[in-house]
Amino acid sequence: MSDAQKFVVTPSPHIKSLDTVSNAMRDVFIALMPVTLVSIYFFRYYAALTIAVCLVTAVLTELLFKKLMNKKPALHDWSALLTGLFVALLFQATTPWYKAALATFIAVGIAKELAGGLGWNRFNPALFGRVALIFLAPLYAYVNQWFHPLAIHLGPLDTITQATPLALMRAGLEMPPVSQLFFAFPAGALSEVSPFALLIGAAYLFYKKHIGWRIPVSILATMIVLTVITGQNPVLHLVTGGIMIGAFFMATDWVTSPMTDKGKIIYGIAIGALIVLFRVGFMITEGVAYSILIMNAFVPLIEKATSRPQFGNIKAVAVPMAEQK
Amino acid sequence: MEVKQFFGGIHVPHYKSFTEHKAIKEASLPGEIVIPLLQHTGAPNEPLVKVGDKVKAGQKIGSTDKFVSAPVHASLSGTVTAIEPRPFVTGQMIESIVIAVDKNQDALELANNNLEKVSKEDIVNAVKEAGIVGMGGAAFPTAVKLSPPPDKKVDALIINGCECEPYLTCDHRLMLEKPTELLQGIKLLMKMLSVDQAFLCIEDNKDDAIEAVRQQNDDPNIVLLRMPTKYPQGSEKHLVKAALDREIPSGGLPFDIGALIQNVGTCVAIYEAVKFGKPLIERVVAVTGQNIQEPQNLMVKIGTPLAHLIEECGGIVSEPAKVVVGGPMTGKAQDTLDVPVVKGTTGVVVLPPDMALEDMDYSDCVRCCKCVEHCPMLLYPNQISIYCEAGMIREAADWNTMDCIECGICAYVCPSKRPITQLVQRTKPLIRELLSK
Repeated sequence: MSDAQKFVVTPSPHIKSLDTVSNAMRDVFIALMPVTLVSIYFFRYYAALTIAVCLVTAVLTELLFKKLMNKKPALHDWSALLTGLFVALLFQATTPWYKAALATFIAVGIAKELAGGLGWNRFNPALFGRVALIFLAPLYAYVNQWFHPLAIHLGPLDTITQATPLALMRAGLEMPPVSQLFFAFPAGALSEVSPFALLIGAAYLFYKKHIGWRIPVSILATMIVLTVITGQNPVLHLVTGGIMIGAFFMATDWVTSPMTDKGKIIYGIAIGALIVLFRVGFMITEGVAYSILIMNAFVPLIEKATSRPQFGNIKAVAVPMAEQK
Repeated sequence: MEVKQFFGGIHVPHYKSFTEHKAIKEASLPGEIVIPLLQHTGAPNEPLVKVGDKVKAGQKIGSTDKFVSAPVHASLSGTVTAIEPRPFVTGQMIESIVIAVDKNQDALELANNNLEKVSKEDIVNAVKEAGIVGMGGAAFPTAVKLSPPPDKKVDALIINGCECEPYLTCDHRLMLEKPTELLQGIKLLMKMLSVDQAFLCIEDNKDDAIEAVRQQNDDPNIVLLRMPTKYPQGSEKHLVKAALDREIPSGGLPFDIGALIQNVGTCVAIYEAVKFGKPLIERVVAVTGQNIQEPQNLMVKIGTPLAHLIEECGGIVSEPAKVVVGGPMTGKAQDTLDVPVVKGTTGVVVLPPDMALEDMDYSDCVRCCKCVEHCPMLLYPNQISIYCEAGMIREAADWNTMDCIECGICAYVCPSKRPITQLVQRTKPLIRELLSK
């Protein structure tokens, strides 16, 4: 052994699991592929264009903000791409590309990077970007004409003219059969075309242990109970709108959901209740997005109220002396 | 017998196959041994010899009159060449006695006491004189542990044979090869503590050891518990919880709930000390890992430099290497092989270049809660790491950072590769300072 021999010295533990943030984010990206493919199948170039615009905007926004904030680019963690894909899936295929791009910019730039980067955002970035555009709607009444020439026309697509099931439900019109809505029905936002495809993705995330049962199950169970109480058809509610992507992909977002087990259930129940309130009470769409964002704000409070006592946090020390005999 | 599961914990890869089927082999004579005067938790010893003195194997060469301490002995005959600070396992320099080892070693002079006749005092004295400390790694003086405060009644003795750290196999081999000595040691402890029952806890990935002990066990009061294999099963708090379903209160010690825990290696050492008057001058060390030519379980004299052990095992395969003393979850990486084996050295793990990355790149917490899911102390390591990193000492204290046992699970599972355990270790002294104000 020569004295010059160098050894690597690092703090314990000296073995690490193979889990990485990028692997997890990539897995969520993979889990979204079934629904993405179904939406491209239905909406062709329209869906592909929206998705491409959002992915490119997400990457550019991330690079821009990292540069402005003097941070190392972190594209390898897949979180920008994932946010971009999420935003795209929240829009309808016919949405003008500049609206989707603006929503992505808000999602990645403001909701994520300005909030401190991945891990520090209080609100789900994709939902924040999507909802920001709804609130900005009065603004484009004025600016629409400037942007109008920028719109790209890809030719007509029959499926696009369909009214969304939620709109049909609201108008009291006849709905397509539940089975069709569940497997594939070309209407609404890209992520709404196939609850079935989303469930396949969710199953993959369960298998990979990236999401737990607590949040989605408590959302869905609460919705079923409340829709039954209010005299609605629970099955119809579950397969329409953004319930599936909301319950399995958005509400289960690591960063913006509670870390306590009890907290996850409370969070899920509250989201489920709010969704029913928005849908049945206020009769508005986008209820899922609002519900999750509202509950995002309550996460610190929920965590505080539900944190578990540590090991050894016991009041009286009872020594059962005779117990082992 | 049924055992309870504790909350949290994780199945880490075992990596035990390198040495688990290899019999303990006597290590060859080193040219020089280095005996640190402080190798236990407690007060340091004063040297009893001076440079140039001839010492005999088993001779006491360092002691102190402080209560919480354990004397040190020359593990081989030779000549004292220096008494100076030398590198220690923790990375510090510790005052040590350096002995040039004689080529010809006489056999150790041993007594042969009748175990039926020894009294409680005899046992404690023998343990104290032999310099026995906890051999599972913590190195707390055993004689002190065997003298709990008079108001604490110990009613349950737990013998820790879990060896839940990956790679390590020294306790496994000891149980397999010295079951009689182990059982004798347990009986001495039971007598000493006046307890009726002892629980020997062994993880179920060591069924051959369980069987070996079972065959030799003639005492129905020594109960063998087959524990589920789960890290950190061998942690005192979790072992008591699993074996007896008693929870050590936060900040408390096992005797607060009437339990006393000893490692299997310590039991064998106690037996040898009481029966033969043999001081603790050697121990089993697993020299293992992917990056060592011939992994082995060696019976090593205390004070043998790591370089000698690694040479004995054929040397390091490829560089850069990481040499860890202890298990990979809690052990310390060494920057020099001059560091000696001490009483608490359970193993030397040599890791290959791909596991020896100095890559300290980590990112922000994404709140995936994998650490929360696995934390055996039911803490929130994610929050703790954020406060520790930001230097928010008060908040770190409020999130019970002081309860952390530094098992390393959070840093192991973290997908952001955050050095949570290190952040906690760095913050604990600051919290102590804050709370003492």
